Amino acid sequence: MDRRQLIKWLKEPLKMSNKYSLHVVYFCTGCGIIEIPPSITARWDAERFGVKPVATPRQANLFLITGYVSLKTLKPIIRTYEQMPAPKYTVAFGSCPIDGGMYWDSYNTINHLDKYIPIDGYIAGCMPRPEAVFAGITHLWTLIDEGKADGYKKYRRNYSQYRSNQERLYGELGWPPRFETEGLENE
Amino acid sequence: MSSIEEKITANFDGIEVRKIEEGRIEVKTKKEALLSTLNFLKDEGYGHLGLVSCVDRIEEGIFELVYILSRYLVGGEVAVDQASLIVKTEVPRGNPTLVTSVKVFETAEPYERELHEMFGIVFSGHPRLTPLFLERDIDLPPMRKDFDTRKYVEEEFESIPPVED
Repeated sequence: MDRRQLIKWLKEPLKMSNKYSLHVVYFCTGCGIIEIPPSITARWDAERFGVKPVATPRQANLFLITGYVSLKTLKPIIRTYEQMPAPKYTVAFGSCPIDGGMYWDSYNTINHLDKYIPIDGYIAGCMPRPEAVFAGITHLWTLIDEGKADGYKKYRRNYSQYRSNQERLYGELGWPPRFETEGLENE
Repeated sequence: MSSIEEKITANFDGIEVRKIEEGRIEVKTKKEALLSTLNFLKDEGYGHLGLVSCVDRIEEGIFELVYILSRYLVGGEVAVDQASLIVKTEVPRGNPTLVTSVKVFETAEPYERELHEMFGIVFSGHPRLTPLFLERDIDLPPMRKDFDTRKYVEEEFESIPPVED
């Protein structure tokens, strides 16, 4: 352990333990999942960084969306995100969730993922190599340190906007609102 | 023993059989005779329906449906006609209806559902023509050549506003 960080540990133990034990739920859409087995197994051992895959979103605090998001997979993505306990961070993986990537004019791929759930960071590339994943995760540490990775708070603040975007895509969603949506009536 | 090409031409009127290359035979049939052709080929041993696909020939105003059949060798059978049969038929673009081939080949069911969804072809007699892949209804089936994907994306996805904090 870095001794210079001892003060930080004593001041904010919760934040520091959050930062160094990122339990990841991988959402395996598209091609990005190919890069995950090398990054979590022996060669690029992800547990050096405290990154560990878990079985269920209810135990996770980092959500990796690996690859393009089709209209049908966005629904489980929203449900998975809403099931994760706060504090939670989302990282979108590859160029497709940023703006559609090579599927930018497909009838079935939503182009901008951050219109429907908040994204704390993007790892660009098609596909990003495991080194890029670790560069992204270490950058996420600094964001958590500075308090900038607050997508879950943003989701709560602007839930009416997110919900109306989701409903514009699907019509009636199959589940009740996660938070109060008092802003919806005023619009 | 006559080859499969001779057998088909002997049994059906107005059917075109052409050998594309070694191991691939193209059979062009009318849409009314499709079911009896498939039945006949199944009885001849071509019991494996590999694919049902569709080509949108927009200049000629037709959909061309493609059925790919092949056979397995059973019980020490000698390979004489080890070819894939490519059965093609045409339906008009204005009124794309066709009788279903589920009763002959059960594996045709998901393929026909997909073609119904992506090209809007109506298979009469199909047990369930419900949506397969798409999450919602699109007015024009998206795999047709006159479907404008860029316009659709602009209307449906790009028009959604980004979330402002």
